[in-house]
Amino acid sequence: MTDQTKLHLHGKPIEGFEEVHEHISPLKSYMAVFGALLVLTGLTYAVSYMSLGPASLPVAMIVALAKATLVCMYFMHLKYDDRYHVFVFLSTLIFVGIFFTFTIFDLQSRDKLSEEQGTFFMKEYDREPPPPPVVIPHGEGHGEGEHGEGDHGESKAGEGKADKMGEH
Amino acid sequence: MSTDHSSPKAHRPEGAGEPHAFMAHHFNTPGQQAGAAKFGMWVFLATEILMFSGLFLAYFIVRMHYPDMVLEAHEHLNKVAGGINTVVLITSSLTMALAVRAAQVGDTPAIKRNLLLTIAFALTFMVVKYFEYSTKIEHGMLPGKYYNAWEHGYAIQGSPHIFFAVYFCMTGLHGIHVLIGIGVLTWIYLRAGKGHFSPSYYTPVENVGLYWHLVDLIWIFLFPLLYLVR
Repeated sequence: MTDQTKLHLHGKPIEGFEEVHEHISPLKSYMAVFGALLVLTGLTYAVSYMSLGPASLPVAMIVALAKATLVCMYFMHLKYDDRYHVFVFLSTLIFVGIFFTFTIFDLQSRDKLSEEQGTFFMKEYDREPPPPPVVIPHGEGHGEGEHGEGDHGESKAGEGKADKMGEH
Repeated sequence: MSTDHSSPKAHRPEGAGEPHAFMAHHFNTPGQQAGAAKFGMWVFLATEILMFSGLFLAYFIVRMHYPDMVLEAHEHLNKVAGGINTVVLITSSLTMALAVRAAQVGDTPAIKRNLLLTIAFALTFMVVKYFEYSTKIEHGMLPGKYYNAWEHGYAIQGSPHIFFAVYFCMTGLHGIHVLIGIGVLTWIYLRAGKGHFSPSYYTPVENVGLYWHLVDLIWIFLFPLLYLVR
């Protein structure tokens, strides 16, 4: 290439502009990340059987975040990529955070607000609960449609919604 | 996509030589074109995360209001099937990453081989999902007003129809993404067969790869939340 082929980007001369400049990771690193992901999947399983109580959700989420970070950094090449792509991707976390925080804050503080102000607040979120579980008198558990309806008639007559659902 | 490089509109520096066949005339360099396409892909992935975040929030609200019901209802999900699908998706992510790497080094047979493996894993995922869904449907564990598990001898306390609504919406939207993924993977497989990709042009492989990794990312969060509640 001669001097005429100089190309400027952001005021800086750039070389070799006919090529796409990307970091090519060695095969070994992909295999290592894959192995780590499998180990972390095993860990997710293990955590769920450890009965950590209220800590289990945060621990499971931390393991999932670690896996997500590995996938983003190595499989999606964010580690070697334009930093702006990292910014675009992580900026969603800010908005998801606002979305989650305000919604949950709102739902958790409604009780208190309605108590203080005496305003009406519907506490039942589900429109109608499903009918109470029916004790099946016969031996076989997996009833057919007619079987279910028969049981249903015995259990309760007053639930119109449940009747409708039992019909089909 | 214009291949008319003699066009006066072609913003090519003098003496820059012939670019790859998929160079659009409004870009200066292949690098610039690839960068623009990739940036667009990342913006799209950001909107995907925002779309799924609504469902994740719905899940957390249900869990907040009905902790006992969620705990009881999730026992009816097949943990083994979910675990198999997790491993399948992670492996498909690896083969996808290897396909992108093969494109970077210009190894077309390896691109095709890895893409075929990725498609095979995606189909495996959908087959497992099919068996899971049909079991749920058989047991009447359906969303909202369609829920009728009590007719099949399953008594879950609380409001399990809400849990199964969330379950079907989240895994359903994810499953639609897997199906779309199979479609675009097939598309780039066919293009690889035509020899379209080279180290100076592999943008479609890379962007489909980014999409596929996102599908994997979402499953990484779905699996512990839905299947492994404690």
